Amino acid sequence: MADEQVPVLDVRGEICPYPMLKTNELLDGDQKGIQVLDVLTDHPPALSTVPPQAMKRGYEVEIDELGAGEWRMRLSKI
Amino acid sequence: MTTDSLSIENSKPNALRPISGQTYAGFTVVALSLLTAYFISRTNGDVAAIWVLANLFGLTLQRARFCFASAFRDLFLFGSGHNMKGIIIGMGIATIGFSAIMHWIIPNPAAGFLPAEAHILPVGLSVVVGGVLFGVGMVIAGGCVSGSLYRMAEGYVASWVAIIGVIIGLGALTLTWTWWWAFSISNEPKVWLPSIWNLGYTGAIVLTLLGLLAIYLLVTFMEYKNGLFTPQIKKKMVIAMNFDERVRTTLDPIFKRGWPIAIGGVVLGIIGIVMYTIHMPLGVTGELMRASQLGLGWMGVDVPVLDGLSTLGGCTGRSGEPGLLGHTFAITVGLLPGALIGALFAGEFKIRLPKQKRRYVQSITGGVMMGYASGLAVGCTIGAFFSAVPSLSLSGWVFGLAMAAGAFTGTQVIKRIG
Repeated sequence: MADEQVPVLDVRGEICPYPMLKTNELLDGDQKGIQVLDVLTDHPPALSTVPPQAMKRGYEVEIDELGAGEWRMRLSKI
Repeated sequence: MTTDSLSIENSKPNALRPISGQTYAGFTVVALSLLTAYFISRTNGDVAAIWVLANLFGLTLQRARFCFASAFRDLFLFGSGHNMKGIIIGMGIATIGFSAIMHWIIPNPAAGFLPAEAHILPVGLSVVVGGVLFGVGMVIAGGCVSGSLYRMAEGYVASWVAIIGVIIGLGALTLTWTWWWAFSISNEPKVWLPSIWNLGYTGAIVLTLLGLLAIYLLVTFMEYKNGLFTPQIKKKMVIAMNFDERVRTTLDPIFKRGWPIAIGGVVLGIIGIVMYTIHMPLGVTGELMRASQLGLGWMGVDVPVLDGLSTLGGCTGRSGEPGLLGHTFAITVGLLPGALIGALFAGEFKIRLPKQKRRYVQSITGGVMMGYASGLAVGCTIGAFFSAVPSLSLSGWVFGLAMAAGAFTGTQVIKRIG
């Protein structure tokens, strides 16, 4: 896995709505169009708020549990 | 876009997941909480029952990630009605149960009496100012009072700061209550829908349910306009081999995965009904009000006599309850082990520290605003809204609308904070 090349947005420590706001900001602000992005969060509600916004922007989302109370959401452009 | 583009399963197959330390800690908290219930029951059976219900209340809030702040805020921020729909479903269920209980207490609503303990609160300037202030506060703090309480148990340090803010705010309200009482609250009417316009119980229930349906449709329309949809969760095939694995995978939907918000709403509605049959509807600020008055006493500040507050009922109206292990104690403190149990079994407990210092400032500021507001409106999102609308009280609707206005304002503030 070439995980090192996937850009990471680390929003651990942030609670709603910031994980979603920051993800949206990054996705909307990048002119080249982000192909893939890993969002790290330790806020469970973000798992149900970030994906709908990312899907609206044409990304598919896969969520992996990294450890106690931490998740990685991998957003990939469809 | 296919529905299987989203998977929130554990990436590791369930069958290989070891029982974690958090799970064992969860069992320990269950045992300690039941032991607490047993010791309380030796002196007061009702308080013990409320303690256990409060555990379930906290567990439900945590598992369904029930969040009133998000319900109001996300409508304006993203056009998402996820949480609001759960709240509406819960209030709809509670409306039916509360009505049955109130009908049993007061068979004839036109007789001029209000059902004891129902959250029928004054309608006037206090609830409007309280609602707006509360709405701004919960958005800035990132959680309402009940939300901050269950997140305290999940390990969110900022939520501890927010609750300290709430207690400070309630203290400030205590010191200014006499002014509010004379200026407005003493003249504000308690409007109980079954007793007006010859509505009776049937009319009031129909009106309330139609109102909830209208908001449900409005929220769904806002989601549609914003191109949002609720993603379907793809379920991975899990092959459970032996007995132990089969048991654990059966329990996963309850203890591992988050509950659908609608299920959370239904369970909360039922918990509210059972609570009311024991003594009172759900509410969490009464105990925090008591804590703030205790704090004022320690600081040597004379706690003024709160004119008329105990006649209002509702959450903070019960703060005069004597003794430590009262009903308000059981409901507010009892939700903490419940939420902790939910977090531990899901493996979600973690001490979470905000990286940015300004988040602490947001928590304390929002907390103080919520505290002052919940004292003024005689309750928070739970007591003055989630328990007031099913009490067929007009105050619940006014508080809800005022909170929406406040949340909209709060949204503009947090967008600028970043």
